[in-house]
Amino acid sequence: MAAAVDPSLLIELLIDGIGAGLILALLGLGITLVFGLGGILNLAIGVFSMIGILTVIEVVNIVPNVAFAILIAMLLVGAFGLLLDKTLLPLVYRSEGEQRILIGIFATLGLAIFLEGLLVVQYSDFYSVHLPGVQPTIIGGLLIRGSSIATIAISVVAFALLYLFFDRTYVGMATRTVMDDEVGATLCGIDTRRLRTLVFVVSAVVAGLAGIMASFSGEMPVAASFELTIEAVIVSVVGGVRSLVGTVIAGLILGIVTTMATAFFGPTMSAISLFAAAVLVLVIKPGEIV
Amino acid sequence: MNIQHHKWLLPPVVLAVMPFLFFTGGTYVARIFTLFLMFAVLAMALNIVFGHTDQLLLFTGGVVGLGAYTTLITANAIGISMWATVLLGGVFAGAFGAFTCWVAARRRMGIIVISILTLALQLALIEAYFGFSDLTGGDTGMRTPQTELVGSLEAMGIPKLTFLYYAFLVMLALVLLLYQYLMKSHYGLAFDVIRQDELAAEAAGVAVVRYKTIAGFISTFIMGLVGPFYAQIEGFVFPSMFSFPVIDVLVLIILVVGGLRTMYGPIAGAALLVYVNEQLQAAQQYRRMVFGLLLMILFLYFREGIVLFVDEYLEDRFEYRDRLAGITRRD
Repeated sequence: MAAAVDPSLLIELLIDGIGAGLILALLGLGITLVFGLGGILNLAIGVFSMIGILTVIEVVNIVPNVAFAILIAMLLVGAFGLLLDKTLLPLVYRSEGEQRILIGIFATLGLAIFLEGLLVVQYSDFYSVHLPGVQPTIIGGLLIRGSSIATIAISVVAFALLYLFFDRTYVGMATRTVMDDEVGATLCGIDTRRLRTLVFVVSAVVAGLAGIMASFSGEMPVAASFELTIEAVIVSVVGGVRSLVGTVIAGLILGIVTTMATAFFGPTMSAISLFAAAVLVLVIKPGEIV
Repeated sequence: MNIQHHKWLLPPVVLAVMPFLFFTGGTYVARIFTLFLMFAVLAMALNIVFGHTDQLLLFTGGVVGLGAYTTLITANAIGISMWATVLLGGVFAGAFGAFTCWVAARRRMGIIVISILTLALQLALIEAYFGFSDLTGGDTGMRTPQTELVGSLEAMGIPKLTFLYYAFLVMLALVLLLYQYLMKSHYGLAFDVIRQDELAAEAAGVAVVRYKTIAGFISTFIMGLVGPFYAQIEGFVFPSMFSFPVIDVLVLIILVVGGLRTMYGPIAGAALLVYVNEQLQAAQQYRRMVFGLLLMILFLYFREGIVLFVDEYLEDRFEYRDRLAGITRRD
């Protein structure tokens, strides 16, 4: 069967897969950062994405400029993240160790269900962000979808900023230190609580952006936020849960694999391959988590 | 006679009279009561594996579906009544659960890992129910067959839901009896040791993997048995009726509201939740919000459950435990 596949189709799929993979990588980073730093598996992350999408759509209705709307959406999602960090998360941080992870799972799951219920009252339709002026482009005989070009371009900027943040700034380096060794970092005088706030806000913004990009290429109901959450968790788990680089690589690989699987075997096999990857990694290396 | 030995009998006896009191109002009320029992049984099942062996299984819905689909598909294929294959559904679901718990225990997965693992399995199962539409009917679902048993009962004037109510009641009674037996036997002791310190349990010679697998089998077997009866309540089987928000979220809330590791907790929790659910019927669109809030608040503030909370309160006010012990001692 492989011989019958047109090579240019494969390359087109590969590019779409990279686009999807970059979105997954950003979502996965949202999970990895917060889990690595605070021990909270944020099961509400998909709702952040949804809030991002809906904000863009609402803002575009008032000011017809998508780029501006995306910026506003990222700010709003960030502010929402800050609000949660000051209200809900302190209740979770009260506990320690495994207990905290367990309470974190249920508190954020409850939050996700609550917010989904809240959003569905007002937004019961399917939503997607339209990019005016971004057309499918033919490069070297290959037809590249406009949404993939936009996603890859925006993601490259986002990843460059994240890289600079974690590699060059003091706060970014301090964050990685805490993820490696919390006690050691505290002894060095790093204020973990403030870092957690910062990182939670960053993860919310990143998730919002990822959601907006995911909606470039498909319409999504509010209920899709749970699927986004699960995809994010799977990417993070496959990437090793505490490794930033691992998460990005896992996101890219899973994006490419699921795009190819959807094209050749249909969406069911694609989804099952995603879950199978997570199950496999969990069974082979369960010790990496906790 | 020692009251403690017959503790399991109280809820089934009380609940057995419900149809005579409330089922006159047609199928609507009967359906609510039947669903209440179903969720009580599911919460009881999760109570054993999660409450007592710390294995947080987040695929209750998927396993219920496994039981329902196995029963219906095999019955259709052989051309016999679905009641003949009910046990097969339970055993298949139980084998699936036992294998999962066995792998998890062998790989020394903590509570977090097993919860993520089973959540991934839950979603994979739902995807599979959607995807393998040749077998399951996919999105459109398939009709649950109107069985001869139900037909002849209805001819005798016993409605389908009354039959299902008593079927679940028998199931609940058996689960309660089993639960009481487990807790009084070496299983309960082993579960307690494993939950408190797995390493110490192993060092003391407790077969940790075996006990965890057995707990997993018992719970998922019960969930699998529930499947075909659930399908009969709805009259139809479709993948999303087994989804995480529809089954698991409710079962988790019920279990935590009622209280982990208690005998009456899951029943009290199910009663309360089904009641809240009905009160919210008028405000459909706010139902999810309320359940989300409940889940959050319960896990943040009331992890011991309402049964223990009420128990403590009553003890403070009336010191009833001594009096109850007094009754027991007299015989």
